[in-house]
Order: sequence, then structure tokens, then C-alpha cells
Amino acid sequence: MSLANEFTKGIIRENPLFRLLLGMCPALAVTTSVDNGLGMGVAFSVVLLASNIVISAMRSIIPNSVRIPAYIVIVATFVTMIDLLMHAFTPALYTALGIFIPLIVVNCIILGRAEAFSGKNPVIPSIMDALGMGVGFTLALVLVSAFREVLGAGTFFGQTILPENIPAIMMILPPGGFITLGCLLAILNKIQKKTA
Amino acid sequence: MQEYFIIIISAVFINNIVLSQFLGICPFMGVSKKLSASIGMGGAVSFVLVVAGFITWALNTYLLTPLGIGYLQTIAFILVIASLVQFVEMVIKKFSPSLYKALGIYLPLITTNCAVLGVAIINIQKEFSLGKVMVHSLSHAAGFTLALVLMSGIRERLEDADIPESMRGVPIALIVAALMSISFLGFSGLI
Amino acid sequence: MRDIFKLSLFLLVVAGISGAGLSYVNSLATPLIAEQIRQNKIDSFKEVYPQSDKVENESAVYLKDAHDPALKEVNIAYRGGMPAGVLYAVETKGYSGTISILAGFDIADSRITAIKVLSQTETPGLGAKAKDRFFQDRYKDKNTTLPLEVTKTAPVKDNQIQAITASTITSKAVTKGVNAAREHFNATFGAGKKQ
Repeated sequence: MSLANEFTKGIIRENPLFRLLLGMCPALAVTTSVDNGLGMGVAFSVVLLASNIVISAMRSIIPNSVRIPAYIVIVATFVTMIDLLMHAFTPALYTALGIFIPLIVVNCIILGRAEAFSGKNPVIPSIMDALGMGVGFTLALVLVSAFREVLGAGTFFGQTILPENIPAIMMILPPGGFITLGCLLAILNKIQKKTA
Repeated sequence: MQEYFIIIISAVFINNIVLSQFLGICPFMGVSKKLSASIGMGGAVSFVLVVAGFITWALNTYLLTPLGIGYLQTIAFILVIASLVQFVEMVIKKFSPSLYKALGIYLPLITTNCAVLGVAIINIQKEFSLGKVMVHSLSHAAGFTLALVLMSGIRERLEDADIPESMRGVPIALIVAALMSISFLGFSGLI
Repeated sequence: MRDIFKLSLFLLVVAGISGAGLSYVNSLATPLIAEQIRQNKIDSFKEVYPQSDKVENESAVYLKDAHDPALKEVNIAYRGGMPAGVLYAVETKGYSGTISILAGFDIADSRITAIKVLSQTETPGLGAKAKDRFFQDRYKDKNTTLPLEVTKTAPVKDNQIQAITASTITSKAVTKGVNAAREHFNATFGAGKKQ
């Protein structure tokens, strides 16, 4: 029961992007197409999962006073590994995400989970926590990028679905990112008020 | 000389770090409610950004590249930035308690500000010389402060505006950022 | 004091382990990355100059006294041991940043075989269309005698290139880059100058 709870909380109730407002930089920058949004979400989830496992396994031997630098080193190691592997195996995605791959290291969600969860909990719940947060963040990125790609380029996963003259290029330019995220947050607020 | 001018215009206006590169959104949203706070944050980030730009460049040029361990770049840079922030915090605390009071709460936040790491990585990617690294970092710092100060000016007024309840707070701030970003789009094509 | 020593030792061990792990992953990934960059280059070469046995970078020979900073690389395409085509890598300033282009020329016919935009940062949906096939095809088979010009309407002369709608600056930038290559090509490999 509680394990399932650790998993589901990240998807809706504590969704890192929509509810905790963390990780906004990549959510705005790479969501110009669903491909990129999904790729970023997966890369992020892998790093979060790996660092959550390691940090949770080492939680009893990491001295409290140097835990933050230790977390940073662990997270940065996994980020660099993902960076190298993506460069080798998914070159197109690597070019599209560019600087935002190394910047996963300063994504507040990962350090936040280390500080709030995996640094205090056993490995299994930490895995569930990472999976939930990863899926939640990925879904959020896909949602934002689906709006932007459909409205801005008239395509979905690269397939044209709207006629040539409908899409507003603005939506895949920087302002479109701010508008989409702003509106989605407002809509979610509204829904939450109704259900609450 | 012209090259430097292009770097400045491009970093401050065209590729504004917040409004078009999406770096440093967290402090941009978090600390832009009050004008005074945003100036403090802008100052603190600018300082760290420029010093970190210099140190990471030196580290990359004299240590990582000669040793052929460029793949340790991310890990080395983030450690430099984290220790730099700690160090700055200690120095300011010791020598200027009043400045520490003004900046203190923002300093720890800067470690996870992607603008600092982002600019450091861009500096290396573009293979800038030391002079260009300094100009580039300074311009991005200025661009960050500019966006933050403009934003807080608008948000102070938004406090009194009648906004639909579900739009209040971050959603409306994002819409404001979108409008600012549209006006900054007008700068592209300037060079 | 002992505490500080212990803490630093701990961090050092963590950093050491992560460094070792990284250098292992790096040693695995580096050859793959290099191979993939090489393959990419070969594919681009094939795209702009299809009929060649091998392509050699001979920038050292041909760019020794070239003064145009737009020219970045000169690659010679060989067919049956003889130079048959020239592939130029050029860089030019577009609307919002550098555009790098690969342009192929055929020596025998003095014509452009094809061009390919390798990288660009132009506005998505507008200038970014420069990397789309339809625009690059407008340069195909152009004669190299006259400088290429950009027009906003359908071209009537052979040396005219129709601009991308609403992206004249980008179109002009690409054309400028191709023209830089064209001039060097004419001066070095044009009629009567064949090696």
C-alpha cells in the first residue's frame, strides 16, 4: 500500500513540475516537440533513479555535514554518464537537448528528492519515489510539449496533423513555453479548487 | 572590438538568459515579487556568474583539457560553483554583515541556479578567449538582472490588480514572462 | 581537526569512485562517438556529392591563401583516382546566429551538385526551413558562372534563388555562403584551371 503510494504521489499529488514548481528550466526550454520532451523526461528519470538508489544505499555512511557535496558528486556522475551515452547512441536527441543534458545536475528536483526522501529512506521506497517522480515529470513534459508542438508546428511526434496555415509559430518560440506552462498551471489550479 | 559588441548585444537582449534561453527560471519566478529583493538577487547571481565564468574557464584550459579529462567538466564545474558560493557567503558574512543580511538568503540558492552552470558551459562550448569569457559572463549577468528587475517592477503592480483566482501567483507571472519574451523577440535580427 | 580530515577523506573517496566510473564509461563511449561523427560526415558528403569513391580534406592545400573567412574546409571528392568534385564547408551569419553549410561542386560541369545546411539557429518555422530539402534543392544544378541572387518571386534566370517566404535574411545568408564557395571554386577549379 505505502509503496504504491510512494509511486503515485509523484504523478499527480506532488507532481514535481505542476505542483512543486521545480524543474521549470528544462520544462520550458526543450518542450518544442514531443520527441524532445519525452527524451528529456527519460534522461531525467534515469538520473533520478540511479542517484536515488545510490544515495539511499549510502545514507548511513554519508556524514551529515558533507551530505550536499556528496549528493552533488553522485548526481553529477550519473548526469555525465547519461551525457556520454546519449552522445554515443542518440546523437539527434543529444543535439536537440544540447546544454540541458549537463544542466540536469542543477535540476532542483533531483537534489530535492535526495534531501527530502532518498537520504532518509531505504532503497525500495526510494526506487518507487524516483519512478513516481520520474514518470510525473516526464508526463508533465510530454503534456507541455504536446500543446506546443500541435499549436506551434501543427505536428505530433513529427507527424503533420494540422493544415499549413493554422499553427502559430509563436508557440514553439520562447514565449510559447511561458504561455503554455502558465495556462496549464492555471487550469490545474481551477480543477483542484473544484475537487477540493 | 566589433566581436565584443556583438557578444554583449546578443547576450543581454537577443539571447537573454532568462527570456530566451530559459536558464535561471527558478529565481526569476521565486524572487521577483519585490523590486528590492530582485536587485539583491541580481547582484548576487551576477557576482557568482562572473567569478565562476573565470574560474571554470581557467580550470578547463589549464587542467581538464591538457589532461584530456574533458568528460569530467560537468562534475568539476558544479563543484567549483558550489564551493565558490560557500566561499562568497563566508567572505561576505565576515566583512560586510549588512550586505550579508541583504544577500544572505539568496546565496545558497545560487548553487542550483542553472544560469551559472549554463553560462560556464556555453563559455567552453563556444571556445571563447579569456577576454570574451569575461565579457560574455558579464553580459549574461546584466541580462539576468535586467529581466529580473523588469519582472519585479511588473509584479509589484500585479499585486493590486484583479486577477482570476486560479491565475494568481505563478501562472500570471508566467504569462507576464511570455509577454516580456515576445517583446525581447523584437531584438533578434539586431546584429 | 580529525573530523575535517575524515570528512575530506570521505569526499575524496566518493569523488575517486565517481571519477573511476566515469573514465570507464568514457572509454566505452568515446570510440562510439568518434565513429558516429565520422559516419555523419561521410553521409553529408554523399548527400551533396553522391558519385565519389573517396573524399579527402585538402583545406591545407587550397585554403592556404584564401582570404574569405567564410570558407572553413575544402574537401576533394575523387572518382577513379581523379578529382571530380569539391565539397566546401562554409559558415555565414544568418538572422540569429551562424549557419554552417556544406556545398558540393562538380568540376567537369562547373555546377553546384547540392547543398546541405549542417547547423543553424534560425527562427523555428521561418528561417529554420533553410535546413528543409525543398529550399536546399533550389541550389541544385546551378551554373557557377554568375553570382547567385535571391529573389522573392519565382526565379526567371538560372542564377536566381527563390527566398523562403518571410525569411529573406536567412535565404540571403545561405546564398552568400554558397557564393563564397562558388568564387573560390571558379578561381581554383573553373574552366581551364583543372589540375
